[in-house]
Amino acid sequence: MSASDGEVLLDVSKVRLTLGGHLVLENISFQVHDRIRTGEITGQVIALLGPSGVGKTRLLRIIAGLDAADSGTVRGQKGAALPAGTVGYVFQDYPLLHHRTVKANLELAGTIAGMSKGESAARAKLLMETFNLSDRASFYPAFLSGGQRQRVAIAQQIMRPRQLVLMDEPFSGLDPAALGHVMKLVQEVAHLDELNTVVLVTHDIRAALAVSDTVHMLGRFRKDGKIVPGACVRETYDMVDRGLAWRTGVQELPEFVALEHEIASKFHDL
Amino acid sequence: MAKLSEAFLPNRTLDRKTTGFIVVFWVVATFAVWLTMPFKTLPMPGDIWRALGALWWERGMGPQLFTTLRLIAHATALTVALSLLLSYLTVIPFFRPLVEGLSKLRFLGFTGLVFPFTLVTGGGYALKVALLTFGMATFFVTSMAQIVVEIPRVQFDHMRVLGAGEVRILWEVVVRGTLDRALDVLRQNVAMGWAMITTVEGISRAEGGIGALLLDENRHFLLAEVYAILFVILVLGLALDYAMGVLTNLLCPHAHLGRVTR
Repeated sequence: MSASDGEVLLDVSKVRLTLGGHLVLENISFQVHDRIRTGEITGQVIALLGPSGVGKTRLLRIIAGLDAADSGTVRGQKGAALPAGTVGYVFQDYPLLHHRTVKANLELAGTIAGMSKGESAARAKLLMETFNLSDRASFYPAFLSGGQRQRVAIAQQIMRPRQLVLMDEPFSGLDPAALGHVMKLVQEVAHLDELNTVVLVTHDIRAALAVSDTVHMLGRFRKDGKIVPGACVRETYDMVDRGLAWRTGVQELPEFVALEHEIASKFHDL
Repeated sequence: MAKLSEAFLPNRTLDRKTTGFIVVFWVVATFAVWLTMPFKTLPMPGDIWRALGALWWERGMGPQLFTTLRLIAHATALTVALSLLLSYLTVIPFFRPLVEGLSKLRFLGFTGLVFPFTLVTGGGYALKVALLTFGMATFFVTSMAQIVVEIPRVQFDHMRVLGAGEVRILWEVVVRGTLDRALDVLRQNVAMGWAMITTVEGISRAEGGIGALLLDENRHFLLAEVYAILFVILVLGLALDYAMGVLTNLLCPHAHLGRVTR
């Protein structure tokens, strides 16, 4: 099966951020291209991999339009700006409106997006079926498990057709079975449409490699053993070029395991 | 029924039957202490019951109660409207110092305020409503403003990424999102207002009310009547508290879901 790169869907260019006088992000640049596979609807999954505290979430907030960078730009398809509300963002703790049921949380996202009540209800019903939440429609968030909350949070973000969805640490604190389920879910969301892109941040190397077509490793440099402030993209791994993208059972392949070990060995110096 | 010994261990949950048994024990113990206490000047339960009958049938306690309930309802309505408006205004930076300043007025007592409030309201019923509203609202604003300030930033960001405008965010996150807690605060404030009723009705006794009646009986040292009135105040206070709890459950069925029972 042949694969090629199409148009630019996300362009992060020279993003710099300081907080309280401390440099957090320095010259972060990467692009997301449409991955084209003949005869397949192929969305994009990009992992921003890095140790805790390196500034991954800060970068995600800038891409979402929630925070402003000191300098640099974030552009979408055809160079469009991405103000808050145009990009989906699944927060780490999956915030939901606690006074609304699952169904009402989803419907609210629809009406905010400009849908009629009927359209919103129909879309919510469809997504609850897709995400296996139909039997939880009348539940308040306080009664949901962590996994169910995560699914509602993701469904809420795609109530309106969105082609860019950001996920903050979607694999954090999951048992192996739940982890596999979430990895599948991430790919399903991405592959709903050819131009869909999921950008996720994680420090889980194995999950990041298994689910993504591109992995950007964020980190800081060291000088004389000391960390130099300001994280940047230290390495980029194209999983398509390596033949490790879109494959079932990829985690068992020797090349995958070797890459995982290679990244893990570098992780300590980030 | 759970082992009774469990009731003496910390952080244990008891079944309803055991809890009921413990409640009955304390009620019986209270009456036993009351009936056997050596202070003969204090009225016995029978004296209080007879005084209650006399107050109700001969002294017009019913209309007095109605006067008081009308006053507390009026003041509560004004407190809710003013306090919620002020609390929600704290999301706008311009109003924060104003709300902060108003909440600090809770440290003032009624004594020095009666004169300016009389000038403004003209006295009588309006004065009592104004004083009670002031007393309740300063505490309500303090609690509610704190609740609004403590809303996590992620709740606002969550709505922003959904594409909601700031007015919609205010409605969903600040108004509807804190309604259960607002009702909890109101429940405490109604209790405080009810406790203030004697003081407020004592300031202007012309319209009567249960507080004025209590002060009259107390002045004549009619202890059975005083305790009968206190008993009515307690029962009505508990009834108001229960009604507030029912209202919270009706309006916010999610309110109790996240709470831990220990």
